[in-house]
Amino acid sequence: MELKTLIGRAKRGLREELRLYLVAISSLSVAFLCVAGALLALTNLSALAERWGESARMTVYLRDGAQAADVAQLRVVLESLPEVRAVEELTAEDARALFLQHAEVSADLAALPPEVFPPSLELSLATGTDPSRIDAMAARVAQLRAVEDVETYRGWFDRLESLLSAGRGLAGALALLVALCVLAVIGNTIRLAVARRRDEIEVLKLCGATDAFVRGPFVVEGTFQGFAAAALAVLVLFFGFLALRGELDASLAALTGIRAAFLQPWMLVALIFGGAFIGAMGSALSLRRYLTV
Amino acid sequence: MARGSDGKVVRPFAFFRAGAQQDSRANRPILVFEDVYKYFRKDQPTLRGVNLVIERGEFCFVTGPSGAGKSTLLQLVYRKHTVDAGRIRFAGRDVARLKSSSIPFLRRNLGIVFQDFKVVKHWTVYENVAVALEILDMPPRLVRARVAEALERVGLAGRGGDRTEGLSGGEQQRVAVARAIVTEPALILADEPTGNLDPHLAIDILTLFEEIHATGTTVLFATHDHSLIGKRDHRIIALDDGRVLEARTGLRSWPGAGESKPPTHEGSGLRVVAG
Repeated sequence: MELKTLIGRAKRGLREELRLYLVAISSLSVAFLCVAGALLALTNLSALAERWGESARMTVYLRDGAQAADVAQLRVVLESLPEVRAVEELTAEDARALFLQHAEVSADLAALPPEVFPPSLELSLATGTDPSRIDAMAARVAQLRAVEDVETYRGWFDRLESLLSAGRGLAGALALLVALCVLAVIGNTIRLAVARRRDEIEVLKLCGATDAFVRGPFVVEGTFQGFAAAALAVLVLFFGFLALRGELDASLAALTGIRAAFLQPWMLVALIFGGAFIGAMGSALSLRRYLTV
Repeated sequence: MARGSDGKVVRPFAFFRAGAQQDSRANRPILVFEDVYKYFRKDQPTLRGVNLVIERGEFCFVTGPSGAGKSTLLQLVYRKHTVDAGRIRFAGRDVARLKSSSIPFLRRNLGIVFQDFKVVKHWTVYENVAVALEILDMPPRLVRARVAEALERVGLAGRGGDRTEGLSGGEQQRVAVARAIVTEPALILADEPTGNLDPHLAIDILTLFEEIHATGTTVLFATHDHSLIGKRDHRIIALDDGRVLEARTGLRSWPGAGESKPPTHEGSGLRVVAG
């Protein structure tokens, strides 16, 4: 069949069943929006995990009134360790200033005195340092006289990792569910359209049309539905993201030090063309039984 | 329409793709039924032992009461159903032995017209006719020319842009006829094409089929309307209870035919040819 004829027939079908298809597209776009939203959350969580994984850190909180000599000695000891890449000393004032800078907090919090923020040594660890080695090092450092407490952020990282793997599983299950949903909705929409256009199919078959000729326009229509629904979902998500980006950035940056990011281009392409593919499949599968004339 | 040296119409789709054989046997019958049986119920065959030969260029009425098997006979030809016993040979090929994938190519060689027209109501007249050519992947320019020619032949010249649902019954049937002839098929199967039309329009449609037949196309015209058959002098194939009761020409010579009575073989010397 000529492509022009195929497209022409599909356009005619879309025109004739416009209302039906609009309803189907809007329903499907909600399903795609769920998947895209889950992907967006995963993208940002992954970025967070990656960042934390890359820059392993340790904070050594100093006792109030720790002697400067003790702190200097501690610093020398820490800098001599092979796992430690850099050591930065933060006074109470520095810690307060840093907090106020990242948190963009209100005037009430800005009034907090420097004593609220303990002085610390911020350690950048070498990439790929073994977690058990970090734990052992933290235990040793915690016993030193000038040290109040040691934070390795392992607990946070473990929690984030388990959150991420749960999120990945959830997103996978959601994607599967949506794929089935899309198959069913597009299949039923096409079945409805086929039922309404049964006379047309009968005429085509009696004139000698092959199954591929009859199926072609319906598959194009299903493809279009899947494509349009996925594209609509991406657009809605994008504009929603733009609207909330300011607030997201403020809270995420303060908590995690990363800025909210939208879906990667390859994800957008996969989502939209995946939608189109599922639409085509749903359409082709639902037509089989209607082709016997 | 192109014609060969013998004056016969040369059709581009005269042989369907599966096993097409070129024209050394062009003069053989176009359609042959050999001891054909069709059962829709085990105990009651719809067709029983039908033997028929339709020559090229013939115009045949297929008649008989409701349930006699007229429509089934035609449906077996275009493979809506398959014979349970016997053979149907179209252009030398056994229709029943065609694979499903070959059925479209069989149908491209047939023009089929129905009582209920089977036109797509929301399409235009042009679209309804052009679809038969689009299936053949014909270039749009040629499609336009062929559709215009077909519409002219059925008396609908210049009506291509009209919506089919706005046409009268007679006009819709003309659209169906135009669709059937636009591919220049070897055989036209008309299944009660005048059944939904008033007598005046029925004669018009019959005349249209005769005009098509005059160009060399074989026509199988199923009808139970004996007033229509009585007005013409074509070969008549009468079916009753699944058997062919008659296969002869000239209903006018039949007793009571002029008074629009159904044909009867009792006391008329008519022959039961099979069954």
